[in-house]
Amino acid sequence: MSLSRRINAPGLATFAVLLFLWEVSARLNPVMGAYLPPASRIVQSLFQLAFSRELFTHLIVTLGRFLAGYLLAAMIAVALGIVLGYFRRAYNLCEIVIELLRPMPSVAIIPVAILMLGIGNATIVAVTVYACAWPILINTIDGVRNIDRMLLDTGRTFGLGRWRILRAIALPAALPYIVTGLRVSLSIALILVTTGEMVVGSSGLGFFILDEERSLRTGNMYAGIALVSFLGYALNRLFVWLDATAMKWHRGMTAREAL
Amino acid sequence: MSWNPESKLNGVAVLLGVVAVWEIASRTEVVNPLFVPPMSKILRSFFTLVAAGDIPAQILTSMKRAAAGYLLAAAVFIPLGVALGLFKKIRRMLEIVIEMARPIPPPVVVPVAMLLFGLGDGMKVFVIFFSCAWPILLNTLDGVKNVDRVLIYTARTFGVSRGRLVTEVILPAASPQIATGLRISLGITLILVVISEMVGSSDGIGYFILDSQRRFKVDQMYAGMLSLALLGYLLNIIFLLATNTLLSWHRGMTSEEK
Repeated sequence: MSLSRRINAPGLATFAVLLFLWEVSARLNPVMGAYLPPASRIVQSLFQLAFSRELFTHLIVTLGRFLAGYLLAAMIAVALGIVLGYFRRAYNLCEIVIELLRPMPSVAIIPVAILMLGIGNATIVAVTVYACAWPILINTIDGVRNIDRMLLDTGRTFGLGRWRILRAIALPAALPYIVTGLRVSLSIALILVTTGEMVVGSSGLGFFILDEERSLRTGNMYAGIALVSFLGYALNRLFVWLDATAMKWHRGMTAREAL
Repeated sequence: MSWNPESKLNGVAVLLGVVAVWEIASRTEVVNPLFVPPMSKILRSFFTLVAAGDIPAQILTSMKRAAAGYLLAAAVFIPLGVALGLFKKIRRMLEIVIEMARPIPPPVVVPVAMLLFGLGDGMKVFVIFFSCAWPILLNTLDGVKNVDRVLIYTARTFGVSRGRLVTEVILPAASPQIATGLRISLGITLILVVISEMVGSSDGIGYFILDSQRRFKVDQMYAGMLSLALLGYLLNIIFLLATNTLLSWHRGMTSEEK
């Protein structure tokens, strides 16, 4: 019972039927096959590429840029968000600048980054940091603002200094919001890294995919897309797992409070 | 009159301060004016380009593509989301396919679209359509799935037909979450139209910005960015006004319930 419910038979069946239709129509219609090769060919390309060093190198390069941009953005935005959330005056001062910059689509700064940092790693990482910082910043500010006043007042009553209150009370209490921001930024980071690689890169999966398209090696292009998607999926899973493990204490505490 | 630390005017002062520092730093060549031209020059370039019709024309081109992809996605994925939310069987059937396609980062669809549609408008519309699909679909699905059962049972008890149940009970009840999906997609649309114009295009505001950089017309590049920021801001405000007006009845009802 539980196993048959966990295995989604109708879902698998639909997937298999679509896969079959794709395979047959791509094989029967060579014009379509040129644009959308049969699934088996894509899997074959993926395996061939997996054994060449090339694709692996691109994957590592993309992952490195992703991690650098994402982690830098997280550090900067969380720190800034806590300050802006906690000190109302600081936020008032920055509000207009934030509201002016926020609605601009983040990719629009790619040309500026090219101008200042050239075409290379620095540009891609900088653009990723910029784009990822926004959701984290806004969520952190919100999170710190919505902290239960009593927590802060208790801290003050016990004579904690400002710094200790920020670190020991504000940060943990705002963590659920921060995690939401981090989660949104996760997919944004991958979008910006791949875009950056397409526009200025000479390596990385984004570059690889665009390059294979231009050389009309469609099998390889789709194999690259499959790999990027898998990377996104795996990173998301990792995040969910880390969140569940690291935030256990929070769920425990809030559940107890509800009693 | 003493200085009021709570006043919102302080923000304006900070903004003016940033602009002034920018202007001075650029004019005194503390920062390289080739890369960061003085603000006055950027603004002049912006107004010239707007008056000459260059920026409005590029924005119009981009907006046509954005609107086509966005509206198409809404027209396809809201009904699909309603169907998936209502019928568990369809949901189970498509679950795996959706889970497989969802993690594809939207920019990597650009090369596929270039292959299928060339470098024209179709390519951008497809990319936007694809990337708007997930927020709209999943939010609609969630909204419909979470409609208060009592509403549905009440309607059934009164003998309301299936079609009217969807249009008069389920869609209105799910509309705030559908609006959320549409709002998220709006931001994504703007990003993707710029990306697709940067990677493969010969017009549109995304192309204009990148092209200005490549020709080293830096003030034009900043002017283009400024126009994009204004556009994003305007679109957001229009969307908020529209949803506030259209959904005000909803807020009234739900707050009454409390």
